[in-house]
Amino acid sequence: MPNVLVFAESRGGALRRAAFEALTAARSLADGGEVHALVFGAPGIGDKTAELAKFGAATVIVCEHAAFANYAPESMAATFAARVQSGGYKAALFTASAHGKDLGPRVAAKLRSPIATDVVSMKWEGESLVAEKPGYTGKVIATVVLSASPALVSVRPGTFVAAQSPAAGNVERISPASDPSADRVRVTETVVGDTAKLDLGEAPVIIAGGRGLKEAKNFSLLEDLARAFGNAAVGATRAVTDDGWRPHSDQIGQTGRLVSPDLYVAVGISGAIQHLAGMRTSRTIVAINRDKEAPIFKIADYGIIGDALEIVPALTEAVRAAKHGA
Amino acid sequence: MDGERLLWLATVVVAAGFFAFNVQKFTDYLRLGTAPEDRTNSPLARLTNFLEIGIFQKKIFRDSIAGPMHAAIFWGFCVLTAGTVEFIVRGVVPSFSFSAFLPHWLYAFYLANQDLWGVLVLGAVALALTRRLTRSVRRLQGAETHPNDPLLILSWIGALMITMFGMHAFELALDPTSPMAAAPLSLNMANALHGVSEGAARAGLEINWWLHGLLVLGFLNYLPYSKHFHVVTSLPNVYLSNTSGPGQVGVMRAMDLEAEDVEVFGAADVQQLSWKNLLDGFACTECGRCTAVCPANATGKLLSPRKIMINVRERLEEVAPVSVGGGNGNSEAVLGKRLLDDYITDEELWACTSCRACVYECPVSIDQLEVINEMRRHLVLTESRFPEVLIPTFESMESRGSPWAFDPGDRARWAEGMDIPTMAELTERGERPEVLYWVGCMGSFDERSKKTTVAFARIMQAAGVRFAILGQEEKCNGDPARRLGNEYLYQTLAKDNISMLDQYGVTTIVTACPHCFHQIGNEYPQLGGNYEVIHHSTYIESLLAAGRVPLRDGETANAVRSFTFHDSCYLGRYNDVYDAPRDTIRRALPVVRMQEMPRSRDRGFCCGAGGGRMFMEETTGTRINADRAREALATGTDAIAVACPFCMTMMRDGVAANGASTPVYDIAEVVAERLD
Repeated sequence: MPNVLVFAESRGGALRRAAFEALTAARSLADGGEVHALVFGAPGIGDKTAELAKFGAATVIVCEHAAFANYAPESMAATFAARVQSGGYKAALFTASAHGKDLGPRVAAKLRSPIATDVVSMKWEGESLVAEKPGYTGKVIATVVLSASPALVSVRPGTFVAAQSPAAGNVERISPASDPSADRVRVTETVVGDTAKLDLGEAPVIIAGGRGLKEAKNFSLLEDLARAFGNAAVGATRAVTDDGWRPHSDQIGQTGRLVSPDLYVAVGISGAIQHLAGMRTSRTIVAINRDKEAPIFKIADYGIIGDALEIVPALTEAVRAAKHGA
Repeated sequence: MDGERLLWLATVVVAAGFFAFNVQKFTDYLRLGTAPEDRTNSPLARLTNFLEIGIFQKKIFRDSIAGPMHAAIFWGFCVLTAGTVEFIVRGVVPSFSFSAFLPHWLYAFYLANQDLWGVLVLGAVALALTRRLTRSVRRLQGAETHPNDPLLILSWIGALMITMFGMHAFELALDPTSPMAAAPLSLNMANALHGVSEGAARAGLEINWWLHGLLVLGFLNYLPYSKHFHVVTSLPNVYLSNTSGPGQVGVMRAMDLEAEDVEVFGAADVQQLSWKNLLDGFACTECGRCTAVCPANATGKLLSPRKIMINVRERLEEVAPVSVGGGNGNSEAVLGKRLLDDYITDEELWACTSCRACVYECPVSIDQLEVINEMRRHLVLTESRFPEVLIPTFESMESRGSPWAFDPGDRARWAEGMDIPTMAELTERGERPEVLYWVGCMGSFDERSKKTTVAFARIMQAAGVRFAILGQEEKCNGDPARRLGNEYLYQTLAKDNISMLDQYGVTTIVTACPHCFHQIGNEYPQLGGNYEVIHHSTYIESLLAAGRVPLRDGETANAVRSFTFHDSCYLGRYNDVYDAPRDTIRRALPVVRMQEMPRSRDRGFCCGAGGGRMFMEETTGTRINADRAREALATGTDAIAVACPFCMTMMRDGVAANGASTPVYDIAEVVAERLD
């Protein structure tokens, strides 16, 4: 009945969803043992950890320090590693978020333990932890076996849906194992990107426009459609970004972003190879183009031949109606 | 010997000695270039270049204004130099004259020519000075140039001519029986001097004689400190150059990646170039013809091929005194600098489309492109410094054998249902094809180019050509990697392809892509791959000429009555194929009108995709393809024809950027549309 320690990620004085996902994942490994959560933060974080109990933390270990208002890799890794050792845990879990990706390997190195990163499923086979992780942008699944103890795992964000399972949630307070102010690596500032806009690489839906839209201002139609979806980002072809209709960062293609969303809506895009090279692996491709000979139709799953300026608003309405109905 | 003669002799000896010292110095400088280079081969071909390009000024005449001006001065100098030799010797031995060796009539003819060419040179110099002072000639401008130098030189030449005439006129005035009477202008001037006292005439002769003599020797010794050193260097440079042959032009320098003693690949400084690259720097007279035809420069990019050559010369003149010896106190600072970064930036190097327009245009056969290519190699191979945007291209070439991230398994999708055998299939059946059709990555994966691929295949089928494709076994020929400086990746791909082609015993290859055509046909021999490679323009034309392609008559489906053909650089300037694509269109559509763009054939303007630019962003200035498409549209043509898949993409995009919908066809499509 192994006990499992979880890195309960916080940011800006609040717990992140990743913490609950990791807890949920950890429960499957604990198999009757206890799940403990270790949370770092500035003084005051300890008062906000009640939620962790709801998601199954038998013990909530709080490590407060003024320097932990920001991520402090070296001190946190030392503290986490020390706790894994002193607590006799058989496994420790991180979420493969920006913090987790950095912290996990540091802890593994300190403990000289194996780590499986970006894991989508895991289980015990005897004394070994067997984990599966995707490779080559999802084309293959690798099975890795961690036969040493403790076994470290970082789970892919969004894979384990956080589910409640109340536990005792006894709070224990500890001090950092090393002085954070002596860290050689220090986070001095966090620059937050445009949060209102979904990143092209992460958006499950992409609405992309080409020169067929005629004018820069017609991109507002695509933005309307993206808003109707709610989880969509707007991209563009090289021709359009070259002409300055859209910023270069929006370009999808060989010389821009390489994307692979669940749904790709190509509006007024002829389908030059330079563009196709950046989006052809999208799961479902919908093309809207006036020219029925346009190469984009060759790779599209659904094609609409007609004027984008009429079709896109209609599509927006339809998406809104469908969402409303749901 | 009197004092004056002695003084002249001493002056000549000092001047000649100083000049020889400088020539020796520059020769030592050239030895700094360590890249191996042998230019002793094919003396006959070199002599032909020397005569055509050097003596007969073939390239110079490509500019209809500056051409005749320069030729007048150049030929004038050739003729007048004979007179200068006579003049210098006569200064020491007054009785010396060519008349001693020449029949009278020939000597008179020679003197009359001195006069005639003197006038032509003076006229050309006056025009050139006026042009420089009153007109703003775009190609003569540029931050890298030395604009005062030509003014000084032209004035100097003018002064040489004036003192020569003065000298001749006073000589005739003093002795009307002198053979100089055969020179009409000098005779007229002498007649005008009628009435001038003998003393004044003698003084006039003396003054003009010494002025002329000092100007001649001064000119000679000023040259090494001026861009006009080209007077001395350009003719040898033309002879030693490979830019117009001997051999295939436009082939990149072979590179041994296995060489164990090599620590640096490519060139970051003049030492890593060859002596010929360095001589190019001394042969450049900053005329700017290269920069004027550079597509990157014309559309507002930083690159100027002229600046590349000036930088080579400047850096050599900076570092050579330190390296060769006799360095000054700043030697550490000088050695700390290099050609890359301190003179030439990454931005300039990556702007090049490798279109060869600069090389083709240079009147003295300088190879600017070789310097750019060698420096790109250094950036990529030695410093791993290249635009981030190229990473997907390099990675994809490495892992998928195509710059485009497509599945290699889809390579032959276009051929489904067309009954085209692969080499593997034929070999299994124990058969061999007439030709191998090398499709190329664009032709295999680009939806638009696939139409060209199908069209060419249909033509060959209609003509009864037994051909095969490689299917999934084909890989990128490596050209984008090579032109982008990634020689390692190039050689990996090329060697794979060569071993596969050799395994099938392939001898003849046809392809619709000029880059595959040039690379496999002209550059694979460096790696031991020897095949006869024929571009589809030449191949289709020969099939049409042989009457092997059954064509129907009547109106074209899309009522195209005129065509503008856009020349591909790798077909044209790299391989001298200009007529085949045009003839192909004419044979398929005899009544169609060909409307040439102002910049066509060997003056063709790049589409912007060469040199790996296809896989990079073009964010500075205007876009090359939009510029080129505008030129094509301005002819009022019904359709644009191309013979290259990269040109196809660029021209289509350029037409759209101009808000037009003029169709772009590959020449194979034009013919396939007429198939019976």
